[in-house]
Amino acid sequence: MSDQLSPPTAAGGVPAPPQPERPFDLRGRVALVTGAARPLGGAIALALAEAGADVALAGLTGSADEHFQVNSAANQVWSLGRRNLALQVDLTDPVAVEAAVQRVEDEWRRLDLLVNAQDLLFAMPFGETSLEEWNATLAANLTSVALTCQAAGRVMLRAGYGRIINVASVAGDRGVMNMAAYAAAKSGVLALTRALATEWARTGVTVNTVQVGWYEDQAGIGDDPEHRKTLTKILPPAPS
Amino acid sequence: MTVLDRLRLDGRVALITGSGRGLGRAMALAFADAGADVVCSARTQAEIDAVADEVRARGRRAAAVRADVTDSASVERMVERSLAELGRIDILLHNAGGRTAGDGRPLHTISEADWLAGIDTNLTSTVSCIRAVIPQMLEQGRGKILTTASGLGLRGNRDLNMYTAAKAGVINLTRSLALSYGRHNIQINTMALGLFPQTEAQATRWGGGRYIPVGRFGTTWEIGPVAVFLCSPAADGINGAVIVQDGGGLAGGVTPFGWAPRIPLPGASA
Repeated sequence: MSDQLSPPTAAGGVPAPPQPERPFDLRGRVALVTGAARPLGGAIALALAEAGADVALAGLTGSADEHFQVNSAANQVWSLGRRNLALQVDLTDPVAVEAAVQRVEDEWRRLDLLVNAQDLLFAMPFGETSLEEWNATLAANLTSVALTCQAAGRVMLRAGYGRIINVASVAGDRGVMNMAAYAAAKSGVLALTRALATEWARTGVTVNTVQVGWYEDQAGIGDDPEHRKTLTKILPPAPS
Repeated sequence: MTVLDRLRLDGRVALITGSGRGLGRAMALAFADAGADVVCSARTQAEIDAVADEVRARGRRAAAVRADVTDSASVERMVERSLAELGRIDILLHNAGGRTAGDGRPLHTISEADWLAGIDTNLTSTVSCIRAVIPQMLEQGRGKILTTASGLGLRGNRDLNMYTAAKAGVINLTRSLALSYGRHNIQINTMALGLFPQTEAQATRWGGGRYIPVGRFGTTWEIGPVAVFLCSPAADGINGAVIVQDGGGLAGGVTPFGWAPRIPLPGASA
């Protein structure tokens, strides 16, 4: 465990990694993808499997409906010939998150990649936002990321290797009306990522954010024709 | 098609400026590994000839086209020669640029000529190269353009006035062009690079990597896979983005880098 009681300014000269034969090959790696009940997380899990990784999948809330979706994504991973593990877990519960990561380690003896793709969209004028809604938005979008980073990070720090990708939103550093709670949470993911990136910089664990905009199939947006029409109007034109 | 196939550049022609050595050469070889044919361009013929040979040794077509990117007529000729030799341009990777005479000294001590030469080398050259390839990409109905910026385009550095201003210019130029040409299926992005020393002397002068969060410099080959990804179909949705590859330097926001001691909550045992 890195215990940085003194600033790590003392020495440089950390050796560079060897040049990989196939830089995009993930064979032999074990990944945990959260938010895999939705199309975005499912697609990420599938892409990692295509690139060769074994994939553990989790949703966000651990509900039965969601677990059905997670299972179906896990089956697609299986159909690619990779090992898969569908986890039913409430990502806002630290004990459950710790147990889920432990399960992956028990099964496969390693955890190399973590992709946090869970997302709980919430948009409401701030004056009408209740404390419960605020707390739920922060817990699902920010605390869940912190918990998985901490649990998976412990495994990765022990191994001296890890790749963590947190999916945030452009709402995290742009002003978006009606998205105060959501934007604050996503902004928190950006700051959390930067802090961990520096804190773990010398341990072999990298932490990065991918910021996405609106995408198709997004819960509550892409599948609502009215929202979709409005958003399509204001987004920059797609390739013709 | 699997996810790894989307990272392939088979059949694509990439024009890479500043590719006679260093990072440009590394990207030329990475592109060849990914399946692209490569036009190598720089000022020194012998160097681009050698890199073109290395590309051919990987089984791809290559051309070595000498050009001075600070001269827009030379850039126009470079594009014509590239098309004459390899028939199309799918990717422009503008890597030429760098520190020039006078930069690193207080502003009031440098001449206007030094300033303009630096801006020409880094910013105006980017404009010239992109302007020259856009008509071809519009005709082909697709294109990828990758410009080279720096972490120093996102923060200041004492006395590096030209370089920080020019690289900030490259970043915002890239964003604006991404909006202009995005609808024509041309994606334009930039890489903000940290420190990739090319000599031992540079590595020593830059503190041996100890101010970089990961504790080391960038290694030349590491730029290759990132550039390949950004110019591949896998990145078709990435447009106007600044991709930072700096070992975590900008995550701290300042150099040396962000660090805080342990400060427990009041009443908690340390």
